[in-house]
Amino acid sequence: MSDEQIEKSRILLVEDEENLAHGLEYNLTAEGYLVTLARDGKEAIKFFDENDFDLIVLDIMLPYFNGFEIAKHVREKHPQMPILMLTARTQVEDRVKGLELGADDYLTKPFHLKELLLRIKGMLKRKSWYQKVVIENPIYKFGNNEINFENLKCTKGKKEFQLTSYEAMIMKYLIESKDKVVTRKELLENVWNMNPDIETRTVDNFIVRLRKHFEDDPSDPKFIVSVRSAGYMFQV
Amino acid sequence: MIFELFILNSQAEPDYRQASLVSASHKPLYTRDSEWHCHRNDLFLKVMKRRHSFAYNLIIFILAQLVWLSVLLLWIYWYVSNNIIFEQVGEKVSPQIVYDAPSVFPFVGGIVLLTGLSISLVLIFRHLNIQIKLNALYDNFIANVTHELKSPLSSIQLYLETLNSREVPEEKKKEFYGLMMRDAERLKNLVNSILEIASMDKKKFNRDFEVYKADETIKKIILESAEQFQLKESSIKFSGDAGCDVLIDRNSIKTVFDNLVDNSTKYSVAPLEIMIKFKRNTKKAEIEFSDNGIGIPHDQIKKIFQKFHRIYDKDIPNVKGTGLGLYVVREIIKNHKGKIFAFSEGKGKGSKFKIELPIYVEKKKSVKGNKKDIKNE
Repeated sequence: MSDEQIEKSRILLVEDEENLAHGLEYNLTAEGYLVTLARDGKEAIKFFDENDFDLIVLDIMLPYFNGFEIAKHVREKHPQMPILMLTARTQVEDRVKGLELGADDYLTKPFHLKELLLRIKGMLKRKSWYQKVVIENPIYKFGNNEINFENLKCTKGKKEFQLTSYEAMIMKYLIESKDKVVTRKELLENVWNMNPDIETRTVDNFIVRLRKHFEDDPSDPKFIVSVRSAGYMFQV
Repeated sequence: MIFELFILNSQAEPDYRQASLVSASHKPLYTRDSEWHCHRNDLFLKVMKRRHSFAYNLIIFILAQLVWLSVLLLWIYWYVSNNIIFEQVGEKVSPQIVYDAPSVFPFVGGIVLLTGLSISLVLIFRHLNIQIKLNALYDNFIANVTHELKSPLSSIQLYLETLNSREVPEEKKKEFYGLMMRDAERLKNLVNSILEIASMDKKKFNRDFEVYKADETIKKIILESAEQFQLKESSIKFSGDAGCDVLIDRNSIKTVFDNLVDNSTKYSVAPLEIMIKFKRNTKKAEIEFSDNGIGIPHDQIKKIFQKFHRIYDKDIPNVKGTGLGLYVVREIIKNHKGKIFAFSEGKGKGSKFKIELPIYVEKKKSVKGNKKDIKNE
């Protein structure tokens, strides 16, 4: 997807605060996105079920169904749909719950317009890259593991489990760069769209989780190996 | 749960990975992120919630009562068995001492003391439960106020940044200024209602009471509220006649009807209709305010006037609010020596509020020189 195509992405904006929703709709439309506005949880689920969207901007405190319930519904039907949660709630429990239920990013009110637009663009770019590589190879097998990159379902022997969208993206990136060293910086920039100077240990923690999923002995990895002072390498 | 020490925990989630406050079971309960902010984790929250739940307190209370009952039985057993021994020893050592009757004073005294202890326990647990409920309501209030403050603030910031960073047509600019003004007004009203609550709690009222004609003034106040909430005049119907004077602070009564009209608009799905009925009995002017909104569940009717109380229901079309509106309404009416009652036939069947205000009657003294002027609207 080119920059021009990203600009024409369809965004479902779920916000019940009338003034804020109006301002967001104006700005997203000005950026070239096609925006559908849902003013409560019922509308959000109805619009999501009836239309195709590229990204969802989701408030948490909503009438009828809250943002967590909507995120869960979206994830069940569309595991890769990028969700940006937008909320006045700043408690860590809310953030953790949102991320656990499948939100890809979280922005607290009041926010900066520039930051919001950058995050949306980053999420759309990641989705576009992921979709492109998944169409080529939706299922990947290594050792006794199998990953379905479309529905994020995995098997290890007889054990079945589900990857999160970030875990899947890291795995896909590593597989795409098979037998090559991938630096932490590279992963942060391409998967998280983050400044690599800030959060390099984030990558290490995700690697720990992926090793637990796919390695027979996570302390002696055979597939996702560390390359001293450089990063990680996927090998079969 | 005993917290022992901070240890490095590399297995914790990314944002909380650097250090963990751990329990004896070595499961991280408290974590610190890279900026040294501490965070509770889910397990810790579950433990805390369990500790403060009503069931937890009830179990503790029942256990305390069982302990008290055991102590009481032990006391009776000890007294009875030792009294027999004292009598036997007394007869052997000094047979000339004759017990006419067993001394009941220490026995009854012991029971009274233990009963006092039990009453104290009941009182302590009662207050503890009230405190726990208040804390939960207060936490909800803080979350709601945060939401209510941040939403208009975000909207103002968004429009300012939009105006600053984009070429906005003049017409849109005017629209944006109008929206920002509405948000600023919302913030002002919220701050004012919090300050009003603070002064109510301290019983510091700054009211400006005047005598008004009940029907005329209240009708005008309600129409002003309707205009403020952008309701059509045709959606409000007036009937009845009170035909009397009332002593009121006009601004406070405006706050009462602002809150009632606001609630009606927030909690209605179909086109809103508000019915106002005036009545008069011997000492009171009655104003019935009813709407065709979503109504109030029966179990909530008594609670809706409580401070910070909000109804959480999936079918409610609005999630905004602080839980202060109807509390303020009740306090203002009380301050006017009046009463307010809520009625609803249940969910989806509308709500009715009956306000009773004392009729103002001129006292003989006031006829001589202090006669109050009746204000005409």
